[in-house]
Amino acid sequence: MKLRSFLGFSLPSAALMLLLLALPMVMTAWLSTRNCALDLQLATVVQTGPFGASEVTTQRARLDAAGRPVEMCRFVGTDYYRKLLGLDAQANAPGSDQNEFFGALRFTLLYVAATTPFVLAGGLALALAMNRVTQRLKGLFIAASLLPFIITPVVGALSIKWMFRDNGLVPHLLSGMGIELFWMAQAWSAQLLVVLYGVWHTLPFAFIVFYAGLQGVPQDSLESATLDGANAWQKLRYVTLPHLAPLVVFVTLIHLMDAYRVFEPVIVLTQGAFTTSVQVLTYQVLLLEDNPYKASAAAVLTIVGIGVLLIPLLRKTWREQRRGY
Amino acid sequence: MSTARSTQSTRSSKLGQTLLYAGLAAWLLLAASPVLWTVVISLRSYGDAFSAPLKWVAPLTFENYRGLWVEREFHRNFFNTLVVTVSVVTISLTVGCLAGYALSRYRGSLGFWLLIIALVFRALPHSTLLPSFHALFDALGIRNTLGALVFVLVAINQPFTIWMLRSFFVGIPQELDEAAMVDGCTRLQAFRRVIIPVMWPGVVTTGLFSFLLAYNDFMLSSALTNADKMTMPAAIAGAISAESDALLMQGVAGAVSITIPLIILIAIFQKQIVSGLTQGAVKG
Repeated sequence: MKLRSFLGFSLPSAALMLLLLALPMVMTAWLSTRNCALDLQLATVVQTGPFGASEVTTQRARLDAAGRPVEMCRFVGTDYYRKLLGLDAQANAPGSDQNEFFGALRFTLLYVAATTPFVLAGGLALALAMNRVTQRLKGLFIAASLLPFIITPVVGALSIKWMFRDNGLVPHLLSGMGIELFWMAQAWSAQLLVVLYGVWHTLPFAFIVFYAGLQGVPQDSLESATLDGANAWQKLRYVTLPHLAPLVVFVTLIHLMDAYRVFEPVIVLTQGAFTTSVQVLTYQVLLLEDNPYKASAAAVLTIVGIGVLLIPLLRKTWREQRRGY
Repeated sequence: MSTARSTQSTRSSKLGQTLLYAGLAAWLLLAASPVLWTVVISLRSYGDAFSAPLKWVAPLTFENYRGLWVEREFHRNFFNTLVVTVSVVTISLTVGCLAGYALSRYRGSLGFWLLIIALVFRALPHSTLLPSFHALFDALGIRNTLGALVFVLVAINQPFTIWMLRSFFVGIPQELDEAAMVDGCTRLQAFRRVIIPVMWPGVVTTGLFSFLLAYNDFMLSSALTNADKMTMPAAIAGAISAESDALLMQGVAGAVSITIPLIILIAIFQKQIVSGLTQGAVKG
């Protein structure tokens, strides 16, 4: 294909990504160094009441010619970054949030680290089990397994919340075993629920990918291993797993990207009270604190975080694609 | 192999079979129970849904669904979701097919760079774009419109869409469109007459994932729309912290209402979803 037609064909897609992904990213970096506030000024207002006029001095926003309030914007440099990272002397005053970003990052990384092994091991176990099931039942098992993965995340997290809520199904079953726990009343159990949701939601993806990979394990290698006297474990360890290794890398990397984005379960299961993730932090600063400048600083820190996490993936893709060209 | 040993191995394999099916049944129960239990309590009054002690059987009521769809006019949110998902899928696929095709046929380094940049965007947490979207859309006066939401979702979907479609187009032999061009077609005519007719399996699979992204989105929809422009997932956000009984139970009914189309989707397109999930893994 000629360069001209390549540009023509890929222009709409590239333009969309440029306008709505690249440009906003640059704009976020710019916003994060600024602060705007209403231009307040003292005004003397004459109030006329039934008992004569009186003069009152109040603060009000300066209005422009069209009658809209004027916003004063100024460059604040790294103020918001220092605030978010807890480097600001004022922010360390008692009662203020310290290290908001590190708190969010810590839980995000904890979530990534806690879910990954269960997703990989569970997905692999399920795929190996499914490989031995009669053909007739496979469709049903796969369909039911897809549900947690396909379901709207906010709905899935709400379903789990309703199951673990006071007077819900799980506390009832647990109290039968003598365990009384209010799952959403303290940080550790609410965080455990977020991790449970993460495993429930992602395990099917690992399972489907590994199951597809198992169909490609060379049968003659397995048979010759059997003839050589290998037991089931040895066949798994020395034939099947090496064949699946690239898929394990693939699932880990995709899960890494998606787990870093964890959002809905944190909002739903902890209501952002004890726990935030990096995405929840930006969202809450923007919508609850109503501070787009500080939210932008949180966003830039979030991007730096995923950049550091993904350097290995980018290098790998880089090398593979380079080879193809 | 001796007879004794073979009976022993049959017995152990029978035990293995039992364990296998027990394990799979346990997974099915774990996978499905949050959804099934939500369906069960959506058909109960608040008192029966969260009671101490728990009730396994309780009188059925459709009051929650009536409250949601009639009183809270959930059909408006359903309609918004419908408009958003149909538009996102249509635009994503049109734009994505052109770029995916170009990426599968062009050999220069520009294509390589586009793919790398798309991969970087694929990893981008979406919340990082929200402050700029607020500022931009306020300046343009298009905040809280379905159109703005559609274009945001299309853009966020593009990296995945072009990678996936490219891998499908790579599988269509180049000789096909080259032959058409030798016969006098332009590149665009070759694409329309030769490629479009054979690309549908890839387009259906990619379209399913575009649909899921748009349909399941909560963060962008809830941050960019409000009131009567909300999609279904954004609308049930009220149920997250609802302590009013009626509001909570309507949220439960809403959760089930949102999930039913997805269950139908799995029933119809299970094969395509599975092939889409493994596509990236197998072809890279």
